[in-house]
Amino acid sequence: MKPLLRSFGIFMYQISRDNMLWAVCIAPLLAAAFFRWGIPHIEILLCEHFQQQAVLSEYYLLFDLFLSLITPYLFCFAAAMVMLTEYDENVTGYMAVTPIGKRGYVLSRLLLPAVISFFASMLLMHFFTLTVWTLWMTTITCLLTSLLNVAIALLVFSFSHNRVEGMAVAKLAGLVMLGLPVPFFLSSGVQYLFSPLPSFWIAKFCVKRDAILLLPAILSSLLWVWLLYRKFEQKLVR
Amino acid sequence: MISVKNLQFSYTRQPFIENMSFEVKDGEIFGFLGPSGAGKSTLQKILTGLLRNYTGSVIVSDTEVKRHDNSFYENIGVDFEFPSLYEKLTARENLRFFSSLYRKQTDIDYLLERVGLLHEANKRVAEYSKGMKSRINFIKALLHDPILLFLDEPTSGLDPSNAGRIKEMILQEKAKGKTIILTTHNMYDATELCDRVAFIVDGELRALDIPRKLIMSRGASKVRYTYSQNGREEGAEIPLNQTGEDSLLQSLLRENRLLSIHSSEPTLNDIFVEITGRRLQ
Ligand SMILES: Nc1ncnc2c1ncn2[C@@H]1O[C@H](COP(=O)(O)OP(=O)(O)OP(=O)(O)O)[C@@H](O)[C@H]1O
Ligand SMILES: [Mg+2]
Repeated sequence: MKPLLRSFGIFMYQISRDNMLWAVCIAPLLAAAFFRWGIPHIEILLCEHFQQQAVLSEYYLLFDLFLSLITPYLFCFAAAMVMLTEYDENVTGYMAVTPIGKRGYVLSRLLLPAVISFFASMLLMHFFTLTVWTLWMTTITCLLTSLLNVAIALLVFSFSHNRVEGMAVAKLAGLVMLGLPVPFFLSSGVQYLFSPLPSFWIAKFCVKRDAILLLPAILSSLLWVWLLYRKFEQKLVR
Repeated sequence: MISVKNLQFSYTRQPFIENMSFEVKDGEIFGFLGPSGAGKSTLQKILTGLLRNYTGSVIVSDTEVKRHDNSFYENIGVDFEFPSLYEKLTARENLRFFSSLYRKQTDIDYLLERVGLLHEANKRVAEYSKGMKSRINFIKALLHDPILLFLDEPTSGLDPSNAGRIKEMILQEKAKGKTIILTTHNMYDATELCDRVAFIVDGELRALDIPRKLIMSRGASKVRYTYSQNGREEGAEIPLNQTGEDSLLQSLLRENRLLSIHSSEPTLNDIFVEITGRRLQ
C-alpha cells in the first residue's frame, strides 16, 4: 500500500510542478462556470436576436453531458502526459522493478486519476448542471465517462512517443466525444453508425433514461479499454 | 541465488535466446560479457522479472520470476543501462523518492559522498552530465541495501577515476555478501571484478568460467624481445615456457644486446575472439 501511495504522490508532485498540467486540472472548473452562467446568458441574447422562445435550451442536457465528460477527459490527459514524460525518462521501466511493480504503476497512473476525476466530476455536476439530475443518474453518468477516459489515457500514452505527439493524439482522441451530440441531432438509423463510440451510448442513455442502454455503454467502453490496454502493456514492458 | 534452466525467449518470432542454462551462487560477482546486441540487457530484464513471456525456468531468490510478487523487489537492486531518473527533480529528491518505496533504507548522503556527488545533490538531474547521471543511477540501486544486485554497464561513460570508485563500491558490496550480476563489454572490468564470466553472443552462452581459467585455457603467455642486428632492429616471439631452449635469446642475454623484452598474457578479449570468433567492442 505504501509504495502505491508514494507512486501516486510523485504523480501529483509532477503535476503540481508543471504549469500546463495545472491549467489542465483547473480548466474543468472554468468550463463548468461558463456552462452554468455563460450559456443561459447567451441563450437570452440569442432568443432576443432570433425572436424565439428557445434556441439552446433544448440542448442544455447536451451541455451537461459535456460537463460530465470534461473532468475525466482532462484528468486522464494529464495522467497520460505524466506517463509519457516518465516513459521518456526511463522511469516507467524502473518502477516495475521496485515494490510499486507494474500493477502498482498502472493503478496509480490510470485507476486513481480516474477515481478522483469521478468524484471531481460528481462535484461539478452537483453545482453546475443546467438541467435537473438525480443523484443516481449523475453517479452512473460520471462512472461511465471516467471509464471512457481511462481508454483515452491508454490511447494517448500508447500511440505517442513524446509529449508533443501526446497532445496531438489527445486532440484526436477528443473526437471520441463526438458521440455525445448524435442522439440530439440524428433520429434515423444513421445514428447507429456511431455505436462503436461509448459516448454515443452515454448520451443515448441520458436522453432516453432507459437502463437497458447502460449495457452497450459499459460494453463499448470496456471493449475500448481492453483493446488499448494490450497495446499499453506492450509499451510498458519494453 | 539464481538458477536458469532451458530458458527460451525472443522479442520476435525468430528464435533469440535458446536453451540457456546456468547458475549463480550466493555471494559471487557473475559477469555477462558480450558484444553489442548479444542479449545481455535482455537477459537481465528476464532475470529481474521485466520480461515475463519466456519459457523454461528462471529462479531468482527461490522465486520463479514470472510469478513474483512485489516484495520480490525489496531485496533486489537494479541499475539499468540507461539512467532512469526524474529529470525535473534534484538528485536528492530522486533518491529520497525511490528510497521511500522500500522497507529498508540506508543513508543517502553517505552514498552520494561515495560517488563524489554530495555537493551537487541539490541540482536538477536535467543539469547533470552523462557520467553524473550514471553515478546517481548506480547508487539508486543500493538505496535499500539489496542482497542481489543487477548492474548493466555501471561504469560505461565514466572517467577512470570515477569508474574506479564504482568498482571499489561493487567489491565492497561483494564483501558484504551480496550477489552481483554485472553486465559489461569491458573485459578489463570483467577480469578485475568477476568471479565467473559468461560469454554471450547472439543470445547464446558460449563459455562460462573463472576469468583466469578462461585465459589460461587458451594459448600460453608469450615472450617478445627485440635486438639489433647489423644496425637494424629485429624481433622475435616465443612461448614463455620455452625460453630455456631459445639459443638466440641466451646469447643476446649474455652479450647484452637486447633492446627490449616483455611477456604478454592473453587477455579475456583474445580469449573471447578465439571462442566466439567475435570482437567485444
Ligand atoms: N524492446 C525490444 N524490442 C525488440 N527487440 C529488442 C528490444 N530490445 C532489444 N531488442 C533486440 O534484442 C537484441 C539484444 O539486445 P540487448 O539490448 O539485450 O543487447 P545487449 O547485449 O545489451 O547490447 P549492448 O551491449 O549494446 O547493450 C538486439 O538485437 C536488439 O535489437
Ligand atoms: Mg545492453
